[in-house]
Amino acid sequence: MRPSINRPPTPEAEEDQEKEPTLQEIINIKLIESGEKERLKELLRERLTECGWRDEMKALCRAFTRKKGRNNVTVDDLVHVITPKGRASVPDSVKAELLQRIRTFLVSAAL
Amino acid sequence: MSSLSNHHRNGQIPLPCPHLSDFKSRHGHKPFRALQECLRVKPLGRAAIRRDPDEVPRCGSCGESSRPRLYACVACAAVFCHSPPESSHAAAHAESMIPGHEIAVDVDRAELFCCACRDQVYDRDFDAAVVLAQTEASTLGGSTMPAAPPENLRKRRRVDYRPWAPDPRERVLMGRCSSPLQRGDGDPSVGLPWGLRGLNNLGNTCFMNSVLQALLHTPPLRNYFLSDRHNRYVCQQKNNVSNVPRKNAIGHDNSRNLRLCLACDMDAMFSAVFSGDRAPYSPAKFLYSWWQHAANLASYEQQDAHEFFISMLDGIHENVEKGQCRPQRQGSGDCCIAHRVFSGILRSDVTCTACGFTSTTYDPCVDISLDLEPNQGNSAKMVSTKSHHACNGEPDSMISSQSCGISTLMGCLDRFTRPEKLGSDQKFFCQQCQVRQESLKQMSIRKLPLVSCFHIKRFEHSSTRNMSRKVDRYLQFPFSLDMAPYLSSSILRSRFGNRIFAFDGDEPDATSELSSEFELFAVVTHTGKLDAGHYVTYLRLSNQWYKCDDAWVTQVSDNIVRAAQGYMMFYVQKMLYYKASEKVVG
Repeated sequence: MRPSINRPPTPEAEEDQEKEPTLQEIINIKLIESGEKERLKELLRERLTECGWRDEMKALCRAFTRKKGRNNVTVDDLVHVITPKGRASVPDSVKAELLQRIRTFLVSAAL
Repeated sequence: MSSLSNHHRNGQIPLPCPHLSDFKSRHGHKPFRALQECLRVKPLGRAAIRRDPDEVPRCGSCGESSRPRLYACVACAAVFCHSPPESSHAAAHAESMIPGHEIAVDVDRAELFCCACRDQVYDRDFDAAVVLAQTEASTLGGSTMPAAPPENLRKRRRVDYRPWAPDPRERVLMGRCSSPLQRGDGDPSVGLPWGLRGLNNLGNTCFMNSVLQALLHTPPLRNYFLSDRHNRYVCQQKNNVSNVPRKNAIGHDNSRNLRLCLACDMDAMFSAVFSGDRAPYSPAKFLYSWWQHAANLASYEQQDAHEFFISMLDGIHENVEKGQCRPQRQGSGDCCIAHRVFSGILRSDVTCTACGFTSTTYDPCVDISLDLEPNQGNSAKMVSTKSHHACNGEPDSMISSQSCGISTLMGCLDRFTRPEKLGSDQKFFCQQCQVRQESLKQMSIRKLPLVSCFHIKRFEHSSTRNMSRKVDRYLQFPFSLDMAPYLSSSILRSRFGNRIFAFDGDEPDATSELSSEFELFAVVTHTGKLDAGHYVTYLRLSNQWYKCDDAWVTQVSDNIVRAAQGYMMFYVQKMLYYKASEKVVG
């Protein structure tokens, strides 16, 4: 890691040696390193835009902001409000497609 | 900088929070310089913050790297996660350190965040740096300016509108050479506005009548012809002069050598329709002239109204252009009245998905053809979350109408300007990669025409299956339309995300200051089947709607128009700008 004079002392190095990386961690890193995570993200963005999910979320945000007043809304508020609705309204076909892609990746990465 | 150059609709730049102001004042010159070096732009323009390109950012407190929101402190570069309401190690960091560590940047989105205020903050310098990095990534070798548009849209000296009034000499001329139009007493149509006159159907010519009605009431076109800007007698005289040698040599009937001029026929039609005579007019001469121009469409079969519209504009352009000596810039509309009124410029950006290089082209257009939604299947899933909302065409509808399953004109325009992934069989040759790559294409409007004609593709012709069909799906269209979100400047800005900055990549041009608001004034509708249908036009005059069904003109209410099956919608700019004339008026 590059040193920086502004950086506070980090005790991370010691902690890493103690903790075993979880399976989730390993998969995540493999996804990022191979560039697959980025590709999956782009694919997901494409699918969610196509099916209108993105427009739907935008409309929900606008409605919420109008109700609360533009100056009384923070990013955290919006995320908190639409996350459950967003997660619930992702079409099953999109979920299935992404799961299939991830499965394929896992097989090919021989994990 | 005027508020208009900022793209926020209400013209307000979000003010910095006290923590941001504090940070900036403390770090003065180039406060985000360190961040700039860490800006990594991915092929499709997404900006991220990474110390090393392969770095996997991890929260300094909990070691998690898979959190959706990770923030890097701008003061000390330490990364923390932010997952309210469970935990926010980023906020904890801000609190635990000496003041000055409140501002952080989202590592995956390159957006500023204040951990103390728990909200996004905006800074011009930072956004400028991000946009610079993004534009460099999309141009060959990092050269700054994208392809220059064909027309220099610089502001010609704008003048205030002064209504024309005749000077004494003109007044005498008018008195001597004209007679006032009379409205007959006891005429039941006394209340009707000028220019409202039925058009006789000459044999399946409703396709022509419907478009003509719309054009007869297109404000700039109507004004042009009614103010004698194309005088058919003068025009024919000029043609006769040039035809004289031929006539003498051949000795044929003169009429065959007379140059056909659709503009002259339009002029005749305007005079007839605005004369005050309410008896239905037969546009036979016009039809004949148009047949001569579009010989392949000359028959008594029903034709497509949109095809006729394009053909007619083309006809006016051709005949007028022959008289021009110098070639005109494409899309400028200086060539003929048809283009002056209808011509706009579309911008097409094709981006390579591998390297991000973007190729831009500009094309003039006289209308915009829009596809209706391919299917309603997916939208059905949204209905359950929004079923209790009314969908009755509120102009200010903030509800996604897709959730109600209704197509809207703005939805079509959204789809028209959305980035579209070109199929793998349409790979585009990327100049940077030097090989065919999969790419994204995005359309936007570079220059708005005076009158926007939207053509809805309701007739599908499939050459592979050798069949045609009509799409009857209802399309909701607004009476007032703001085209700002579909302009190139807006579309390009949205590509860069939530940034505030002076958009340097775009020319400082007059179009950004011009109004983009339009008013609906004519709707051409089609009812019936593909081969056995009927065209009808609805016109708005003095805030009243009239139905023009060939020879029959009747007044109708707003709702009838809203419920109609729109095929071509005509919108005119609410605000007209006058430029100082370059020509000396004789």
